[in-house]
Amino acid sequence: MSQHVTIDPTLDFAIERFIDAPTRLVWDALTRPEHLKEWYMPRQWGRVTHAEMDVRPGGILRIDIAVGDGPEVPNLGCILDVEPMKRLVWTSMLFPGYRPAVFDDIPITAIITMESVGSGTRYVFTALHRNEADLEANKSSGFYAGTEIAIDQFVEHVKSMA
Amino acid sequence: MVQSAVADEVFHALASSTRRRVLEQLSVGPATVSELAAPFDMALPSFVQHLSVLERSRLVKSRKRGRVRTYEIAPERFAVAEDWLMARRQLWEARLDRFDQYVKQLKDEESGS
Repeated sequence: MSQHVTIDPTLDFAIERFIDAPTRLVWDALTRPEHLKEWYMPRQWGRVTHAEMDVRPGGILRIDIAVGDGPEVPNLGCILDVEPMKRLVWTSMLFPGYRPAVFDDIPITAIITMESVGSGTRYVFTALHRNEADLEANKSSGFYAGTEIAIDQFVEHVKSMA
Repeated sequence: MVQSAVADEVFHALASSTRRRVLEQLSVGPATVSELAAPFDMALPSFVQHLSVLERSRLVKSRKRGRVRTYEIAPERFAVAEDWLMARRQLWEARLDRFDQYVKQLKDEESGS
């Protein structure tokens, strides 16, 4: 499916890395809950309280996090495409089993591709976001206008402190 | 400013008057949870939730010394908030840094055993 993906540089980004480790380990670290827990959250910031991943199309992706002493925040998504040690695609636009999701965050579709290069692995993490029409709709709701002013004020304020 | 008319954590964090007042207070200087909570007529657990939202947005950061947690403003986050896509990218760059580190650790453990 990756050949159908079009990257829009104003909405999306891709991060390409090379790591000197076998593809098998990269895949495991990416897809196994016990590994996810170790790297998904910065330690000084919080932790993963629950991780679940059923690595097949329609399967669950769940990474609940907690910040400081704060409450758990659920992150639930659906796995779309799996080719072991080659490609993993998931989205937070859907709940597991392809059920339309409810969220108040920026939904993301993540595409991770990897290939073996010598003794290492090259991987690309791509994040796709919603299109600008959606953003405009959000803008016109008035909700963001208010918060945007707040941000402007705070940016000004914090800059003036520096 | 900014393309930031986006439902980022930052906007969510700023969408509450309680949280904006906390940020105002922190912009004067670091403060402990109880100092921050004092002006509000609110149960502590609810107030701590507000702090969590702020910290998740990374507009503030906290440190725990003994039993006392102190919050301070994180100015760098205000800068990145000006470009939401950059902010998202930085989040994942940092996450993938930890990912790489962790995979290397797995590799070392495997070759060590």
